[in-house]
Amino acid sequence: MDNTPQRYSAWALLRARLAGPGYWRSLWSGAKLKDGYDVVVVGAGGHGLATAYHLARDHGIKRVAVLERRLVGYGNVGRNTTIVRSNYLLPQNHYFYEDALRRWERLSSVLNYNVMYSPRGVLDLALSDGDMVDLARRGNAMRLAGIDAELFDRAAVLKFAPELAASGPRRFDIVGGLVQRRGGTVRHDAVAWGYARAATALGVDIIEDCEVTGVQSAGGIATGVETTRGYVKANRIVFAVAGHTGAIGRMLGIPLPIETHLLQAMVTEPIKPLVSTVLVYVHPHGEVYVTQSDRGGVVMGGFLDGFPSYTREGRWYRLEDVVQSAVGLLPQIAGLRILRHWAGTNDMTMDGSFIIDRIGHDNVFVNGGWCYGGFKTIPASGAACAAFVATGTAPDLIRAHGLARFKTGHLLDERGGGPFPVRQ
Amino acid sequence: MNRLECPFCGPRELEEFVFHKTLPEAGASEYAAVYERVNRIDDSLEHWQHLRGCRAWLRVRRNPSTGEVHEVELLGGGRS
Repeated sequence: MDNTPQRYSAWALLRARLAGPGYWRSLWSGAKLKDGYDVVVVGAGGHGLATAYHLARDHGIKRVAVLERRLVGYGNVGRNTTIVRSNYLLPQNHYFYEDALRRWERLSSVLNYNVMYSPRGVLDLALSDGDMVDLARRGNAMRLAGIDAELFDRAAVLKFAPELAASGPRRFDIVGGLVQRRGGTVRHDAVAWGYARAATALGVDIIEDCEVTGVQSAGGIATGVETTRGYVKANRIVFAVAGHTGAIGRMLGIPLPIETHLLQAMVTEPIKPLVSTVLVYVHPHGEVYVTQSDRGGVVMGGFLDGFPSYTREGRWYRLEDVVQSAVGLLPQIAGLRILRHWAGTNDMTMDGSFIIDRIGHDNVFVNGGWCYGGFKTIPASGAACAAFVATGTAPDLIRAHGLARFKTGHLLDERGGGPFPVRQ
Repeated sequence: MNRLECPFCGPRELEEFVFHKTLPEAGASEYAAVYERVNRIDDSLEHWQHLRGCRAWLRVRRNPSTGEVHEVELLGGGRS
């Protein structure tokens, strides 16, 4: 029986209508675990699925499996605040994130799956003259790299995001902002589903409910992975386990420059369209970002909880910080009720930038350390990681992101926080 | 984990304390002390400060998977 998911088109809709119920095959389930693969990707989240997809599509590697401990998209790809942007300061970062944003713009047609990319803009706000200096510096760095950035004064900010003009008690007035118009949001679950479907169509086996418990090696080369469903031979292994990369280091006996911290997000009851863009305010002691989901809920997130934890139990005082900051920007949402609130585990690295590199063996790779910014990079990460795994050489876009940077001192410390994961 | 027991102030809300850093493994090199973490799931030794209280610096041993706090002691008092 053919398990390949059908392509979506107007004709497919018509055929499905004529064929009646039961026409659509499932998007990814049904693959049987084989004895061995060319590449085993551990983790069916955004990065793992995108890596598998690009291995099959760009490099012609047909025997690829994605092993997932639970279900496709059950981890951080389904727990984030869906924001995509490329407004980074350091060149090693902004070219990579820009590559991701260019891929987001075309992803729905590339995957033949609507990921609902919404370029509603990302507006970083300045509430003081000092903030404006910082934003101007970042905007100039972006523009020099050919990335769109516009510095707004107060009037332009209020024109761009009229919801900020609402009268109400505002402790700190808005001075200006930096906007990236191509930034915005993407439907996060659709990204996991779309990549899973596209990878399945290319012959990738996606195996759910299959936890990897160890790596076997012989003669300095990894030969396969131990899983809860038995041993699987693998010529190459990629770990893409956002939020649990520290656990991979522990499993392999390799200390990593990573700590696991919690980040919270929350969403209010749905309301009519209010927040027209992605509002962000960053200051030395915290951060807040506010968007409105397509369903109408106001989605908010902020800073790390502040200490290492694997519990996924967010601290109440951080929830309060985030809500207070959000109400500080948008006084009119003060009366809304929080509908859901959750915490996710984050791989926080020592410099706040991600790691794609070999780990332990020549044929074992790690794609992790995404801190709290992994979602927005999924398409670029998948392409770059697949190129690294297939060719054995890191592509230019991620050459600076190896583990060696911590030894050589070429850190990519976007925030200037020093070697403290909690401050990144 | 909602509270820490400060040696001076007794049990106080976690909000009063600030986590500073994870302490290195015994015998770690200088590089490892700064950049490498073993990421044990059941045991973590850390520096905290009772910043919004008596400002004492503390050494805290706790379980990051359950939030259970095993030990809080004053930094510089007792083991070095």
